[in-house]
Order: sequence, then C-alpha cells, then structure tokens
Amino acid sequence: MNLPNPTPETVISLQDVDKYFGDFQALKKINLSVAKGERIVICGPSGSGKSTLIRCINRLEQHNSGKIIVDGNELTDQVKDIDAVRREVGMVFQNFNLFPHLTIVNNLMLAPRLVRNTSTEEARKQAMELLERVRIPEQANKYPSQLSGGQQQRVAIARALCMNPAIMLFDEPTSALDPEMINEVLEVMTDLAKEGMTMICVTHEMGFARSVADTVVFMDAGEIVERNTPEEFFNHPQQQRTQNFLKQILSH
Amino acid sequence: MESLVGWWDDFFWGSVVVVQVFLVSLVLMVLFGLLGSAAKLSGNKVLHTIANGYTVVFRGTPEILVLLLFYFGSAITLTAIAQFFDPTIKFIDIPPFWAGSIAIGLVVGSYATETFRGAFLGVDPGQIEAARALGISNFKTFIYIRIPAMWRLALPSFGNHMLSLIKDTALISVIGLQETMFVAEQATGTTGEPFVMYLTVGAIYLAFSSIITLTVIGFEKYGNKHLEVGK
Amino acid sequence: MNFDFALIMTSIPQLLEGIGLTFQLWFLSAILGLLLAIALMLMRISGKWFLYVPAMVYIYIFRGTPILVQIFIIYYGLPQVEFIRESFMWSILREPFGCGILALTLNTGAYVSEILRGGVLGVPKGLGEAAAALGISKVQRFIYITAPLAIRLSLPAYSNDVISLMKSTALVSTITLLDMMGIARIIVSETYAPYEIFISLMIIYLILTWTTQKIFALLERRMNRHTIQ
Repeated sequence: MNLPNPTPETVISLQDVDKYFGDFQALKKINLSVAKGERIVICGPSGSGKSTLIRCINRLEQHNSGKIIVDGNELTDQVKDIDAVRREVGMVFQNFNLFPHLTIVNNLMLAPRLVRNTSTEEARKQAMELLERVRIPEQANKYPSQLSGGQQQRVAIARALCMNPAIMLFDEPTSALDPEMINEVLEVMTDLAKEGMTMICVTHEMGFARSVADTVVFMDAGEIVERNTPEEFFNHPQQQRTQNFLKQILSH
Repeated sequence: MESLVGWWDDFFWGSVVVVQVFLVSLVLMVLFGLLGSAAKLSGNKVLHTIANGYTVVFRGTPEILVLLLFYFGSAITLTAIAQFFDPTIKFIDIPPFWAGSIAIGLVVGSYATETFRGAFLGVDPGQIEAARALGISNFKTFIYIRIPAMWRLALPSFGNHMLSLIKDTALISVIGLQETMFVAEQATGTTGEPFVMYLTVGAIYLAFSSIITLTVIGFEKYGNKHLEVGK
Repeated sequence: MNFDFALIMTSIPQLLEGIGLTFQLWFLSAILGLLLAIALMLMRISGKWFLYVPAMVYIYIFRGTPILVQIFIIYYGLPQVEFIRESFMWSILREPFGCGILALTLNTGAYVSEILRGGVLGVPKGLGEAAAALGISKVQRFIYITAPLAIRLSLPAYSNDVISLMKSTALVSTITLLDMMGIARIIVSETYAPYEIFISLMIIYLILTWTTQKIFALLERRMNRHTIQ
C-alpha cells in the first residue's frame, strides 16, 4: 500500500502523564509523541488504559500530572479554549454517538454551523462532499436509527472530518460492529491514512495495524509496554506481556 | 409558637388518625391494585374492560371529587335504604374515616393496578423458562422466581403510591375527618394563628413522607443487593 | 331515590360556567410551574452546592407535603405575616385566585423539575462527549443536544403531571373559588343530588384528561419521528 511518510514535526506530545480514577491509576507515566502524518495503533487488553489515553488527548478526561501538548497548546485547567483544541482533534467513538434527533446531514452540519458560523448552504455542501467520501450520500436525510452500524460509524467519521481536524482519534471504532460491517469502516479509515491524516487508533484489528500503522503501541495496566514498527511488533515482540497478548488475539 | 401550647395533644391524635387511614387505605390500595392487574392480565374480555374503566375513571378525575361522590353518594343511598325500613330516619352516612379510606384506596389502587401489571410483565421471561427447564413446578416458580423479581420491579412506584396515600389523607378533612388538617382548622379558630397551625400540619406530613421514603430506600437497598459490584 | 336526568341536563351548563376558571388556574400554573421547574432543574444539575442544596430542600418539602396543606398555608397563613401584607405580593395573595395560582405553581414546579432532571440524566453521556469532541461549547451542547433529547424523554412523565395539575385545580374549591368543583359543591348542597352532579363533573374531567393525553401522544409521536424505523 502506498502511504505517505510522516513528517518530522511533532503534533502531539505526552510527557510523564498520570491519570487516576479515584484510587485506581489508569495511566502511569505515559510518554508518547506523535509526528504530523503519523499513524499510531494502540492495542492491549481491556482495562489497560488505551481509551483513557486518547480521551486525555482531547481532554474528555483530565490527566492528573505530566504534560500533554496538542498542536502547540498545553492542556491544563487554565486552557480556556479547550474547545479550540478540540476543533483540531476529531474523534470517533466505539458507539458512534450520532445525535439521534438530527438527520445524517444535520449531524454533519451542526458543529460547523455552531462553531465556525458556516452558512447553511456552505455547511450542507461540505457535509455532502464528506458523505460522498465515506460512500453514503444517499442516506443524508435519514435519521441515525435508520442506518446500519457500519453506516453509522462512517457517518461518525464524516462528522468528525467536518471540522477539518489536523488529528483524528479512533476509540475502538469497530468493536461495536457486526463482523460483516467492520471492513467498510476500515476502508474509510485506510482512505484517510492515504491522505496523510495524523491518526491514533485504539483497535484490535491487527490486519489494519499491519497494513496502515507506522507505529504500534502495546499498553497493559496503564503503561506503554512496547512500541515498534508493525513488522517488528508482530514478528519480533520484545516483551513477555506483548508475546502473551499477541498469542491470545492471534490464536483465534 | 406559644400558640401551639395546648394543641400538641390534638395534633398527636390527629396524626394517629392519619396513620390509621394510611394503613387501611394501604391494604385497600394493594387489594384493588392486585384485583385490577389480575383482571387486566386475565385475558377475559369482560374483566379487562371493567379494570380498564376503573383505571381510566379513577386516574382521570380529581381525588376530592371521588371522595365527595363516595361520601355524599353513599350517604344518600344508605339513607334511602334506611328510610325504606324506618321512615323516621333523617340521615345515615358512612363514617368519614371509612368513606375517606375507601375513596383514596380506590384512587391510588387504580395507579397501583398499572404498577403491578407492569411488574408482572416486566419479569424476564428467560428466568421463568429457565426455572421450567429445571423442572420446577409452576407454583414454585411463581413463589420463588416471579414474586421476588416482581416486588423489586414494583418497589419504586409502590413507594410513590404510598406517598400519594399519606398526602391524600389530608383531603379527608373536607368531609369532616378529625385528622391534623381538622385540628389546625379548630386551633386557628381559637388562636387566630393559621400560619403556625398549617405549618405544623405541613411538618407532620413531611415527617410521615420522610419515614416512608427512608423505608422504601431501605427495601430497595435490600432488594438490589445482588446488583452490587463485587470488589 | 332515582337518577334525575333532567337535573344533569340543567347542571352541566352550570358546571361549565366554572371551566374558564379551571382552565385559567390550570394553564397559568402550568406555564409558571414549568419556568420554575426549569430554574430548579438547572440549580439541581449545576454542581454548585449553594444552588443544588436549596433546590433539593425546596423539592423535598413541596413533594413531601399535601398540596391542600400548601394551599391553606398560602391562603390562610401568609396574610398573617406582616411583611407579606406590606409587599407587592399582597395584591396577589389578597385574592384566593392568586393564592391558588401560587400554590399550584410552587407545587407542580417541584414535581416537574424532577421529571426534567430525569430527562437530562437520561441523555446518553456519549452524545455530550461527541459534541464536546467537535469543539461545541458547553452551553451550545446543552441547547442543541441535551435539551431537545431531554424534552423527548420527559414528555410522557410530564403529560402525567399536567393531568395531575388539572386534577389539583379542583382543590381551590376549598378556598372559596368557584371553579367547576366549587360550583358542583354548591349545587349538591342545594339539591342533595350528589350522584347526578358529581358524575356529570367526573365526565367533564375525564374528557379533559382524555383530550390532554391525546394531545401529548400526538406531540410525542411528532417529536420521536427519529426513532421510527
């Protein structure tokens, strides 16, 4: 597959990030930097902190210590304009989280209209273009509940793209899907990768990781255990924990 | 507050009447609710229609209207019957205590009908099938599987029905029951302090509501023990 | 004893003379009560103790005491308090109508605020997060995502409360107001015909209840177009 190479410019950097839920430490001294155009796949057993990690990047969760810098802005309590940072970071959720009371096209138009004051016609035009891109323009005037899971997730990707984000976060985008719908979503994500989008994907789709990722990160118990290129990661895992994990998920 | 001195006794006995009405109407409410829900679930068309009429009428009209209709209506009927046997009788009525208890029992029972019906239908059919598959008899399934699941489902609404009952007891003063509202009215007559008197009634009812609420919370905690997350 | 149909025919028009007052009490306190409920609900979910504690206490008191007691405290009790007699409120509280509106409003406000809160809490958290991730501000998230969905979720319970408010208006007959219930009580005391009069009134209230239910059912169906598969 022809994928553009990442640039040397760093867009996200996490330094010694800790995150607690009450007494439970969800993230332990996380260090990670993401280059512009880099595609990172994060995997690991459930409860390992993968989702928490990416939710910290757009501050849906607040980290307790350490530094997170996104696109030159450090995320702190003082960041008044967290919404401005969030506009630069698109996010796709496991459960799609489409707004059920809005039609598909209105789901896509809402943020540009509210946040960017884009005119209705402009927003609609852009929304339709994005729906073409995720290959479901014909569903524009339906409500989310009328679409299949795979279609809803593609709409969710289009909705995130509406704000022209520099970075896309994917939080297990295919985990809630029936098996036959996983591919249509992965195809859209692969398209994005080809266009040079900076992506962080929490996923268990190892085929996707192999073919699309620049870097695979393995997390366990709130720590980054191992990070490597896909070839090295899958063929020569260094850590015992990584080997066990791979054995488990690849044996099925 | 000194105006309350000398009225504590009366408020106390008024509260006792409130509790008595509450207990009687609670029994009636459960009875009417069970009968109503059984009729709705029976599959018998006539019973279903009667139960439907019952819930529509009693949920759709003001409680005070039901109460007055019941009290004055029964009085007219009883007097007519009595006069048939003894023309010298002028007026007979059902004591306000019973007229009131039955009226609010009927009203809240119509709400309980829906609660019980919902709880019966809300039990996961898989549980019943599982019990049957294990060879447990219908009767034992009902006692050990359905009832325990049902009361847990019904409890939150049932708690609300009990709160409705206790608050509706205040209405019965309108037909002359000597409960706390009636006491306050009398006390106002002699002391000229309606504010203090009715606030006292409010405080008494708030105490009763709190006791009911806490009791229901206690039962809910007990009933939901199995849902606690293991640590 | 026999059922006097002629009396029903003559009394229904008399009863209906009070329907205007019933409607005034009902609609005015429904609207004012809804505004109060929204304010209480916002206080309740604000996360600030000096807002949610007073709201909780208010709701606890008004839901924990009979509305008849509340009506009597306002009608008989408040005029006794000097500063109320001297305040602007006096022009409202001097009249039983004002007292009725005030009591019904305060009461329904407490119940409806809990219904609305239930609706707000029922909106899936992920939707707010999705909107946040798009950079939509907190206030806009509430207006465009949470509120419309919360309204849909609260509607069934709210319709019950509107009906229950209609029934509560009948209680103002205890403070001399001549709504339909008040008129009915007068006719009964003159004619000694409780069955005819009260059953006629029951039918009128049942028609009001039924109509309200139909209107809300229609509203629900319109608002829930998005869930119809």
